[in-house]
Amino acid sequence: MNRLLAAALTICALLALAPAIARAQTATALLDQGVRAYTVREYDGGVWLLRRALATEGANALGATDAARALMYLTATEVARNQRDSALAAARRLVVLDARYRPDPRLFPPDVLAIYQEARRAAPTVSIRALGDTAIKPGTESFIVRLGATASPEVVANVTTADGRVLRTLYQGSFRDSIDVRWNGLDGSGNAPPDGRYAIIVAPSARERRTGAEAWSLRLPLEVARPAVDTMPLPPAPPDSLLRPERGDMSGAMHALIPGVVAGAAIMLLPEAVSSADHASNARWIVGGTVAVAGVAAFLSHHPGQRIPGNTEYNRNLKENWRRNVAEISRRNADRVRGTKLIIRPGAPALMTGDTP
Amino acid sequence: MNRLLGVLAVGLSVLPAAARAQDRLQYTVGLMASQQIVQSRVEPTSNRLSGPVLGVEGALISDRLTVRVRYGEGHVQPREGPDNVARDVVEGEALVGYRALPWLTLWGGPSARAYTIGDNNQRWLIWTARATGRGTLVPGRMQSFVELWGAFTGSVGDPALQAGGRGFNGGLEVRLAQSTPLWSRLSYKMESTHATGLRETVESLTLSLIYGLPQ
Repeated sequence: MNRLLAAALTICALLALAPAIARAQTATALLDQGVRAYTVREYDGGVWLLRRALATEGANALGATDAARALMYLTATEVARNQRDSALAAARRLVVLDARYRPDPRLFPPDVLAIYQEARRAAPTVSIRALGDTAIKPGTESFIVRLGATASPEVVANVTTADGRVLRTLYQGSFRDSIDVRWNGLDGSGNAPPDGRYAIIVAPSARERRTGAEAWSLRLPLEVARPAVDTMPLPPAPPDSLLRPERGDMSGAMHALIPGVVAGAAIMLLPEAVSSADHASNARWIVGGTVAVAGVAAFLSHHPGQRIPGNTEYNRNLKENWRRNVAEISRRNADRVRGTKLIIRPGAPALMTGDTP
Repeated sequence: MNRLLGVLAVGLSVLPAAARAQDRLQYTVGLMASQQIVQSRVEPTSNRLSGPVLGVEGALISDRLTVRVRYGEGHVQPREGPDNVARDVVEGEALVGYRALPWLTLWGGPSARAYTIGDNNQRWLIWTARATGRGTLVPGRMQSFVELWGAFTGSVGDPALQAGGRGFNGGLEVRLAQSTPLWSRLSYKMESTHATGLRETVESLTLSLIYGLPQ
């Protein structure tokens, strides 16, 4: 009862102090405190500290070596708490993180070592490790992950989208010890994918699965982001006001015809109304006829209802120039986008086995 | 002819200055050359005369209001009839117009015409109301116009007799080149004025050269 009470008090104290501790302490300090808690048999507090250390992300996150150490002590602490499943899960994470990790038998009791060996036997012989946040220029530089193996498994490593669609196959084949797999930031078509969440998934090849090997996959989540790129806006399409009519305008033609014909007719007919008693000269026919003919000529100049090839050609050239500009600016923008670095942030690798829910 | 040159000189010097004084004002100046046919009836005789008339014209144009002046001088010779006396002709008008619609301008003002027949003068002074309609055939390049007028009062001779009349003018205006504001105008005009025992009918075929926007 006293032990239970002490554990409860410890947890309460840790919970109360948790925000301050989290702010004040780095993951390494949390790891050291968790290890110390294990050695003084404060297992409940030790579990909390170790999990907290492992959950720390960003610049304060544990390095690969410290993460392996934290997982080993977490395994041991869970064994001490009689939480066998939790201990096995921590041991599996350790195997995934570093398949070649070997616990020091002087530090851990045999039952802890046995749990670790069980995890090794059950887990795949492949581990995956990324170097950390990486900025690459797509197509010319590469994001590197290291696959480790204790045997010579035949695996497939794919980059997939968040919904599982394969973006690009990075590696297919068997390897011994370790291999660096590189992703140049492009998909199978040679295009840089949009920002978002992706993953590198390593799984046994189809041939390996046919031999009866256990189904498993290693998943390394990736967050891909690209800094904002200063691109040029695309020019707007030419407005209708710049386009010339491709067919003659009947309304405009009539607006030209009517003033000419009306004025011409007036000039020819009005002399009779002004002075019916006097004989008007032929000058009115000359002027009236000229005005009327000018109106008809203006009407015909509008090509009413007819195609106007010159205007069609003009409009085609205008649109073609616009399309060329759009294509050129799009190409320059694409070059700028390609020239920017892709920031790839790997997350914690996860193992999925046949018995993973 | 001296008077004609004087009016031309005054018009050319005054109109641009007036136009500059107010930016929104535009102006036109022009030269006219007409062939006139005058049918003069003094009951019971009738004469038909014809001859050239040269003149100038100018206008000041604002958004709505227009002032137009024309002046011409010429000499008409008899073509038939018993009275074989030639006449000197002086004519002019001064009108104020209001642009009621983009295509319609309404005018009012006096129109005068004087003949010198030997030692005698005959002066017609007619106060007219006019309406000018314009239509665009080719925007900025070609337009047609018709102007109708009627007299609401007038006088002729000394002692003065009550006179009246009506007339019309119509034609075509063509811009000579896109880069210059020079226009040419071909017009036909017929005016008929009358008083007790008198009737004058004047036909004009006129060719004009105008600087500025024609109105």
